[in-house]
Amino acid sequence: MGFFSTILGFCGFGAGISTGLVIGYYLFIYFQPSDVKDPVIRPLAEQDSQSLQQLLPEIPPWVKNPDYDRIDWLNKFLELMWPYLDKAICKTAKNIAKPIIAEQIPKYKIESVEFEELTLGSLPPTFQGMKVFTTEEKELIMEPSLKWAGNPNVTLGVKAFGLKATVQVVDLQIFAQPRITLKPLVPSFPCFAKIFVSLMEKPHVDFGLKLVGADLMSIPGLYRFVQELIKDQVANMYLWPKTLEVEILDPAKAMKKPVGILHVKVIRAMKLRKKDLLGASDPYVKLKITESKAPSKKTTVKHKNLNPEWNEEFSIAIKDPESQALELIVYDWEQVGKHDKMGMNVVPLKELTPDEPNVMTLDLLKNLDKNDSQDDKFRGQLVVELTYKPFKEDDMSKDLDNPLQKAPEGTPPGGGVLVVIVHEAQDVEGKHHTNPYVRVIFKGEERKTKHIKKNRDPRWEEEFTFVLEEPPLKENLRVEVLSTSTRIGLLHPKETLGYVNINLADVVNNKRINEKYHLIDSKNGMIQIELQWRTSS
Amino acid sequence: MGLISGMLMGIVFGIALMAGWQHMMRYRSNKRIAKAVDIKSLSSLNRDDLKKICGENFPEWISFPVFEQVKWLNKQLSKLWPFVADAAEAIIKDSVEPLLEEYRPPGITSMKFSKLSLGTVAPKIEGIRVQSLKKGQITMDIDLRWGGDPSIILAIEAALVASIPIQLKDLKVFTVVRAIFQLAEEIPCISAVVVALLAEPKPRIDYTLKAIGGSLTAIPGLSDMIDVSFDTFFSLVKLYAMLFGLTVFLYKDTVTSIITDMLQWPHRIVVPIGGIPVDTSELELKPQGKIKITVLRANNLKNKELIGKSDPYAVVYIRPLFKVKTKVIENNLNPVWNQTFELIAEDKETQSLIIEVFDQDVGQDERLGIAKLPLIELEAGNSKEIELRLLPSLDMLKIKDKKDRGTLTIQVFYRQFNEEEQLAALEEEKRILEERKKLKEAGVIGSTMDALDGAASLVGSGVGMVGTGIGAGVGVVGSGLGAFGSGLSKAGKFMGRTITGQSNASKRSGSSTPVNSVQENGGAKPL
Repeated sequence: MGFFSTILGFCGFGAGISTGLVIGYYLFIYFQPSDVKDPVIRPLAEQDSQSLQQLLPEIPPWVKNPDYDRIDWLNKFLELMWPYLDKAICKTAKNIAKPIIAEQIPKYKIESVEFEELTLGSLPPTFQGMKVFTTEEKELIMEPSLKWAGNPNVTLGVKAFGLKATVQVVDLQIFAQPRITLKPLVPSFPCFAKIFVSLMEKPHVDFGLKLVGADLMSIPGLYRFVQELIKDQVANMYLWPKTLEVEILDPAKAMKKPVGILHVKVIRAMKLRKKDLLGASDPYVKLKITESKAPSKKTTVKHKNLNPEWNEEFSIAIKDPESQALELIVYDWEQVGKHDKMGMNVVPLKELTPDEPNVMTLDLLKNLDKNDSQDDKFRGQLVVELTYKPFKEDDMSKDLDNPLQKAPEGTPPGGGVLVVIVHEAQDVEGKHHTNPYVRVIFKGEERKTKHIKKNRDPRWEEEFTFVLEEPPLKENLRVEVLSTSTRIGLLHPKETLGYVNINLADVVNNKRINEKYHLIDSKNGMIQIELQWRTSS
Repeated sequence: MGLISGMLMGIVFGIALMAGWQHMMRYRSNKRIAKAVDIKSLSSLNRDDLKKICGENFPEWISFPVFEQVKWLNKQLSKLWPFVADAAEAIIKDSVEPLLEEYRPPGITSMKFSKLSLGTVAPKIEGIRVQSLKKGQITMDIDLRWGGDPSIILAIEAALVASIPIQLKDLKVFTVVRAIFQLAEEIPCISAVVVALLAEPKPRIDYTLKAIGGSLTAIPGLSDMIDVSFDTFFSLVKLYAMLFGLTVFLYKDTVTSIITDMLQWPHRIVVPIGGIPVDTSELELKPQGKIKITVLRANNLKNKELIGKSDPYAVVYIRPLFKVKTKVIENNLNPVWNQTFELIAEDKETQSLIIEVFDQDVGQDERLGIAKLPLIELEAGNSKEIELRLLPSLDMLKIKDKKDRGTLTIQVFYRQFNEEEQLAALEEEKRILEERKKLKEAGVIGSTMDALDGAASLVGSGVGMVGTGIGAGVGVVGSGLGAFGSGLSKAGKFMGRTITGQSNASKRSGSSTPVNSVQENGGAKPL
């Protein structure tokens, strides 16, 4: 008897609890309104100290930390724009979701899935501060503190087997601190090629998920589980150092990287015209690529020779073979004064057959103006051999992915190439003139950048290479900033604006160092130098 | 018995479970809403709020200026600047050089930028203010300061003349840029952007213009000018016009008035943003009303002449491109003109009526005084007689003396347009500008708003200025050969000399209509 009654009691409890749940559902949950109300926001001034106390954990970082900037103007902008943004986003989301839903539902025997309600609510996301970091690399880093505690209402109506159920997402809250890195910076709009987004901390996510009116997320334990699950999922994908990469421009194109190399061999010139009063001219050839900022290249000077033979080779990087042209100018070298132009000619690169040597005999002209008929005297001829070698596609992509290139072939084993890139300087100032250029001295070898006239913050962006037999573990690199007077005069022809000695052992160990150095003998001048140590292995 | 009690207990338990769940739901929902409210109320704090929160320990790194500071943006901008400059240089070069080529007069073989560098100094944003003055629009004011070191050299090569490089450098721009975003309900949510320079504080644009090297005297055949056929003669005139145009191009009067007329609030540039077909006509500036002004008389004007008395006349305008001029009354310090003009107002709230009184002179006309009447002081439909005190300059900082310069009496009548009249006025305005354009030779970018609009929207104000320069230059041609004569005599003088244009400079020559003003500039001495 007792046994049966216990069994029956359990059965009764089982039946009773389901009945009770149904009754309870209709009593407490079913009749609850499912629409989302706009919360009432009281101005801070009216709140008492207790509610202010509650605010404190949410206080924006710009109040607490001086290195965060307030961006209330952006918040205001967003707030004003939010109603429009809301409608636009929801419209787009609906349009995107519709075909996907239509494609998916037949598989699950569901009759229809529809958005009954889709709005992001009246509360826009807010930025609680912005922090930026400056590095020496070509990148912009910013870290906004983003908080969106919104009141969106997304209600999906699902019809299946003749029954209708609604799934509703309410009160979505996302707090995150993304780090947005824009790099590399490129000289064409919008001035960066890629956006990298990664989260510095696990984001805080909270929401209500109502299934037929009942909020699943308020089942004790379940919410925590789901939240952890989401956090871990997101963290797996985007938590620093993992990043989301969005490409804006093709960096190869945007960087205007060279697409080929032009090998120029200046062979000889014939029957040049005499320019010097005494004796024959002292010719040399200057090579320049049009529309390029690279410094021009020069052959040696052949003294007193009107039929000079140089047989000198040069390689020039080409960025756009369609529009660029090679300019060859023959000058007469002078000890004193301006060098006379003896003649010139131009070879458009598109006329060259790629990968084949083209030997050309060029008539020297006075200038390029075809209308200038008054001067068609014979000025001599120049013989050059030109070979244009376009890069292979895969060469280029390799270059881009790996900023640390390997040393070129022919580097002695154990040795490598030391690359010195002179980026820019700041606050350099001479007593009498400031036309700065940089002299890089390594083991007695000297390289110079071009001069920049009258500038306290010059930018050179020039690269020099030194091929070495062994790693320069004990060597120093000396970098000097100098200025020469633009006027020809005996007073203050040259000035040192500052110098710095850089120990190269660090570079060998780190492979690459990009830093700003304080200049010695300068008030507060700084110079940014990038050093790379490339080895063949 | 067991079954029933079991069932009952089950029901009670079930209901309790549901009640508990509902309680949890409420609790969690309330918590979330409270948090949302907190975050919302913290999104825009002002000084008082913060004081209340922080109490004694108010952080001293926080300030609340009208224009919010954007240090982080400046940091990023200065880092990005070399790349922005490179990109902008390429765009300016690509878009302006063909323009120059197109409007190149015969006789000049090439006009090219031999150097175009925007310098190493990045513009600085002093502050940003966001407001909503109208529903569906966001107004953003950006306080922009650029004391840059750009160096722009335009090389002009003529067939007969040596190359003449003209350099623009030391550009300084201090202005508040107002951008109004028209919102739309489709991504990207902004259908059009209106850009203008705020009138208060007055935009300041300074620059140095220099002709470097070269020489005009090297023109071969200048001595045997008489033998030159008419064609060559005319092309030479054009060449000169061009050169002067380019020097004049930043000569404050013409150019500043054009920039002002184009950009200074309420004048604006409207840029529709791709994708969304939108009616931007509402954003464009439209004639709002007509002002009938009668310049009655002036009293106690200052005598500027050595012999006799001043020969005063008055110039009246709202927009510098539409100036009207009274007749000259000779030898009188209390002239009575009694002349009536009609001017069109576009924005009663911000525009002002400017009246300048000049003394006609043999050389440059001297200004006796200037007066300003904000249109907002006028009542529609009411005729009013107003006496205005003449000031040496509208810029209060530049007024040094407190000398009395006399008074000016005018009668003003303002009438609001209805829609039809508005359209008619718009047509009329277009027609006037069209005519003016014809005067400046067909196809030339003149100082008309339309043409400049196109140029400016391409690459921003830089191009606008160059375009303006050419317009002004060819304007000289339009105004005849008179400029040529004076131009020749001045040719030697201006070479190698630095011409500094200053938009705020108060010295100016008298001018009635823009065409005339250009002509005078062409012949006028460079500053």
